Amino acid sequence: MELARDQKTSIPKKKKRSERQKDMLSGYLYIAPFFIIFAIIGLYPALFSIYLAFQKWSGFGPMEFAGLNNFAIVLQDPLFWKSLYNTLIMGVLGTAPQLIVGIVLAYFLNMAAVKFSNFFRVTIFMPYITSMVAVALVFGVFFSSNESSLANFIIGWFGMDPVNWKTSEWGAKIAISLMVFWRWVGYNTIIYLAGLQSIPKDLYEAATIDGANKIQQFFHVTIPLLKPFIVLTVFMSTVGAMQLFAEPTVFLGGQAFNRDEAMTVVMYLYRDAFNLNSFGTASATAVLLLIFIVAIAGLNTWLTSGKKAKRGRI
Amino acid sequence: MLLGISAVLVACNNDDSASGDGKVELDFWVFGATNYESLASEYEESNPNVTINIRKSELGDHHNSLFTAISSGTGAPDLTMIEIDQLDRFRQAQDNFLNLYDLGADEIQDQYLDWKWSMAESTDSEFLFGLPTDIGPKGLYYHTDVFNNAGLPTDPKEVSQQLSSPEAFIEAAEKVKEATGKPMVDSMEMAFRANMDAAAVSYFNRDGDLIIEESGNEVKEAYDYAVELNQQGYVGGFEMWTPEWATALNKGEFAAELAPAWLKGYMTENAPEAEGKWRVATLPEEFAGNWGGSYISIPKETKQSEEAYAFAKWLISPENQLKSFTESGLFPSAPSVYEMEEFKQNEDAYFGSQNTAEVFAEAAQDIPEVYKGPKYVTVNNEILTALQNVREGANPSEEWDAAVKRIKDLLER
Repeated sequence: MELARDQKTSIPKKKKRSERQKDMLSGYLYIAPFFIIFAIIGLYPALFSIYLAFQKWSGFGPMEFAGLNNFAIVLQDPLFWKSLYNTLIMGVLGTAPQLIVGIVLAYFLNMAAVKFSNFFRVTIFMPYITSMVAVALVFGVFFSSNESSLANFIIGWFGMDPVNWKTSEWGAKIAISLMVFWRWVGYNTIIYLAGLQSIPKDLYEAATIDGANKIQQFFHVTIPLLKPFIVLTVFMSTVGAMQLFAEPTVFLGGQAFNRDEAMTVVMYLYRDAFNLNSFGTASATAVLLLIFIVAIAGLNTWLTSGKKAKRGRI
Repeated sequence: MLLGISAVLVACNNDDSASGDGKVELDFWVFGATNYESLASEYEESNPNVTINIRKSELGDHHNSLFTAISSGTGAPDLTMIEIDQLDRFRQAQDNFLNLYDLGADEIQDQYLDWKWSMAESTDSEFLFGLPTDIGPKGLYYHTDVFNNAGLPTDPKEVSQQLSSPEAFIEAAEKVKEATGKPMVDSMEMAFRANMDAAAVSYFNRDGDLIIEESGNEVKEAYDYAVELNQQGYVGGFEMWTPEWATALNKGEFAAELAPAWLKGYMTENAPEAEGKWRVATLPEEFAGNWGGSYISIPKETKQSEEAYAFAKWLISPENQLKSFTESGLFPSAPSVYEMEEFKQNEDAYFGSQNTAEVFAEAAQDIPEVYKGPKYVTVNNEILTALQNVREGANPSEEWDAAVKRIKDLLER
């Protein structure tokens, strides 16, 4: 905000803050609350866990400096690699279909012909605001390991045998991925919908005059112009998928930390910290996870935005 | 900034609890099925200046939040229950708890069972970590309909006579399976505990070395017995404390449990329809042991150690242990209760008016003092995971080796 300033040269007084400095100071004061709170509940724990990654500590008593030993323990632990593999598989199963379905759903919701589109927009967003625990409990019942559970009943129509949804290698992964898909697809749809509405109508008109059909328009107008939104959702979903924790933990219940079929990296580090009281290795895992997330998010962003969109022939 | 916030919090806290006008508020953390809520209200009536806030949670959550509070040095209650298997884990933080000898616990020492009392003492007997609440002497819970259909006796004394050894137990299991198709025990954990709770030595020696691979250690034998029962098809798939397990208890989906007195609390809460269907017999000597039971400890953080101790002392007094037994099946650690008329005459409606007290009292007499070690629960969980995998078809000896390897890795951390 530019204030009208008195241009008269005033009599030199005691040293006072200039208007510019005052503006600066109030600006900093306005943004201070966020940064102070972030420093306490975000930055300090993050730095402390990096420090802890080099210590051996059981939560009680003094810490011992352990050097890189925690990293050696974690990297040599087959269960860590298994949890990383689980996380990646569930990440791909849960997010890739989500983004594709999200774009298609958004495209249909954006059509003028769809009646009650507002109602559908609200409904599709509902799963995202539903309580995580309630979702996991409902899915837990749906995918109960009993032969008579709903999920087993449905796959029975296709002549398949009942699946142990909580203890089998693929059953658990598929059930949890479906839960993630169901919960997040609406969130991404809404973001795409916002993106679609920012595309000018006259581009479509021009494409129609050039003789492009609906499908060609979708691939040559809609998708390229949605690119920034796709980059955003891919980035967010990747980070979210790597940090998957609540869904599998609640879904698996009491057995969550004793089995390895659906253990994610964050579950692995939680187990280290709070079941095994080994805060050093848990923190080392967190640091490793940070490195993986940065690498994978970087790769994804580069893949989705780094290349020029190919020019298709019309 | 942080200091500022914590100072404010501490100030608020003080206003709440520390006495402004002789009023005392005690936070008491409990777990499982106890009658401590009703005992606390009783205490409040006779001590109008005291309010007791009980926070009840599940065993695992209870100890995890206690761990967090003790570890961070803030947020601990004035009193807390600690389960016997978790005792050594928290004793690593002995400095964060009060020595109950300093509060006068030596005056009541002679009222309690020696083995129970000394498990909470430091090696030099100078420090007392907790006051004894209940103990878990084990009996044989059996479902009368299932036993009856299998052609087994249903009178407790006859059952004890017939099932007098591990071999006889297997014979009975065979009859149950042939006649009814039902498993003898609910889960692998129950089958494993049959021998495990009776062992005088568990996973560690007092120097903290893992001894499960040494000859003469009984863990592997307990494991093998569970595996054997499972191979014959005598073990069910009802994991303890799950809804499925409660349903199975209710309907008599399996024949027996080798379980402690306090299980009655869970049964009355979760299997009310089975009232009158279960009885308790004496276990074969090889299976007699202790499972569970707790202590009450006072974290150093408390501002009201005197009041907290006074309440704890009252809660575990012989008269109140009698109430805890009749109401929730918490078996007394004060032997004087065993002589009380009400205890001897106690007819338990849930067990078809059987006097279960005498069965458990007999079992409580000679229980060994077992050293568990700080990592007991961690190690035990890995063995249970191996047993569960065996039940799902894995190879028992491969699973054992894998579990031992996992345990060694975990102890490195």
